[in-house]
Amino acid sequence: MNYVVDILLIAVSAALINNFVLYYFVGICPFIGVSRKVDMAFGMGCAVTFVISIAAFLSWTITTYILKPGAPLSQWVAGMFVSPEMAASIDLTILCYIVYIFAIASSVQFVEMYVRKFFPALYKSFGVFLPLITTNCAILFACLTIMSNVAGVDNPADAWDLGRSLTLAVFGGVGFTIAIVIMAGIREELDLCDIPKPLEGAAITLVVAGILALAFMGFTGVDSGLKKALTPKTSEMVQAQVVRQQDQLATIALSSNPVGMHR
Amino acid sequence: MTWVTISLSAGTLIGMAVIMTYILGWANKAFHVEVDPRVEAINGALPGANCGGCGYVGCGEYAEAVALDNAEVNLCTVGGSGCAADIASIMGVDVVDSLPYRPIVHCGAHYPERLQRNEYRGEQHCQTANIVAGVQGCTYGCLGFGDCVNACKYNAIHVVDGLATVDYNKCIGCGACAKVCPRNIISMVPFRYEQMLAVTCSNKDFGKEVKNVCTVGCIGCKACQRNSDFFTVENNLSTVNYDTYESLKDDGVEKLKKAIDKCPRKGIVLMGKPTESDILSLMNEDIPKIAEPDFKTTVDDTEWRG
Repeated sequence: MNYVVDILLIAVSAALINNFVLYYFVGICPFIGVSRKVDMAFGMGCAVTFVISIAAFLSWTITTYILKPGAPLSQWVAGMFVSPEMAASIDLTILCYIVYIFAIASSVQFVEMYVRKFFPALYKSFGVFLPLITTNCAILFACLTIMSNVAGVDNPADAWDLGRSLTLAVFGGVGFTIAIVIMAGIREELDLCDIPKPLEGAAITLVVAGILALAFMGFTGVDSGLKKALTPKTSEMVQAQVVRQQDQLATIALSSNPVGMHR
Repeated sequence: MTWVTISLSAGTLIGMAVIMTYILGWANKAFHVEVDPRVEAINGALPGANCGGCGYVGCGEYAEAVALDNAEVNLCTVGGSGCAADIASIMGVDVVDSLPYRPIVHCGAHYPERLQRNEYRGEQHCQTANIVAGVQGCTYGCLGFGDCVNACKYNAIHVVDGLATVDYNKCIGCGACAKVCPRNIISMVPFRYEQMLAVTCSNKDFGKEVKNVCTVGCIGCKACQRNSDFFTVENNLSTVNYDTYESLKDDGVEKLKKAIDKCPRKGIVLMGKPTESDILSLMNEDIPKIAEPDFKTTVDDTEWRG
């Protein structure tokens, strides 16, 4: 498939159709916790997008070069001790969870230090969210999705490259931002509403989240339609269409040709 | 084969650990931010309620402001003078007299005393009821829908028969109620004593109009002003001059009593924690037990208005 089309599909899919929060229900904790004010929600969304991109870069690199079966680095190290065939079959993907959490936590820590030193204003506005994001499952989910698309494919040529992984991460973050900002907008309005006591607080928020998820279900199927529209037609398909058109023309000619009727 | 996998796994993790440790250790040094040790010390001295009563976002922010921007050391209303003294000793400055600020509701009308009340069926919030005309006659007084009650994190203000009433035993003086009141009838007052005088009215209309809407509102008759210079009547509304509160304590007590007695509307009252004699006078009376919240009392009986 065309690379650009593939990227576009991954982007739309991550941001809207298979939205992390509203389709997979990961990252619910900040989605409920930090969606009180729109500006706070936007800050959280930006922070998540930022961290998710870094985590995606790290997890793609680690998976491709160390974890997946036949990864160059582990193969080379193992090749020193066992036969090359055995070395190629070594699979370290069992380590994915611990390694990804490790990478995410360290990178968040690093980013926090960096931002604190060089962008104090930025640190004040979303620095408080950064430690929260470390344990956010949306990040881990993005990493695991990338892993399954790098290491879990049958045909090695189908494995995602860095561009696809980063697209998934960035647009997953964008989708998270969209969801949390919509949620914050609704919750700001909800503050003025007369909510029955038993439903106040987290209860009504979860109900709203559910309705929002239902609304986002409306995007289901957009990806397959988009895929159909964007995929360049193969020569066989074009030929089939030409034949079909000729048939139609022939039928029309036959049925509407008065000369033929008289003959 | 198994051993190779195991050692490779271990090697991967140890390798990552070494790399990350090195990077983070380097970053810790390279990106080191100097934190004023006084900020930490002040943070420890503050109560940590994060109420925002000082005007900063939280205790941490206030500590930074004191240490770095020379903010006043006595802004914490929760900690009071003790906290101010601690901070002053950390900063090495003299503490200025710090008074606990407490809210006073400048309205004294319960439902029976308010006239021209109409049934209001909109959103049960003061903020929305304030927009609508005709909820009650008085356009200055307490609406009684309890925005202040919702704003209070310490359960220290309640609506009693339509009038917001502060429980001074629970109040810490964060000022959330004063901020949220759409009619601005709650003011934060420096409580020099346990009990403070207050004029329980905010109505700036002429006496006749006040009498039309309320049976206890201030009519601006200036009786209090004539008897004690403790009060100033401006815009047909008497106000207590809290700046001269101290000076009038010695010789002005008689005058003050007279002024309070002369008030035709009985709108000058003492507010604050009950004094010992008040508590003693209630000793023999039958006080009902405090109702503990259970399912029956916490369940919402208001109508569903979807």
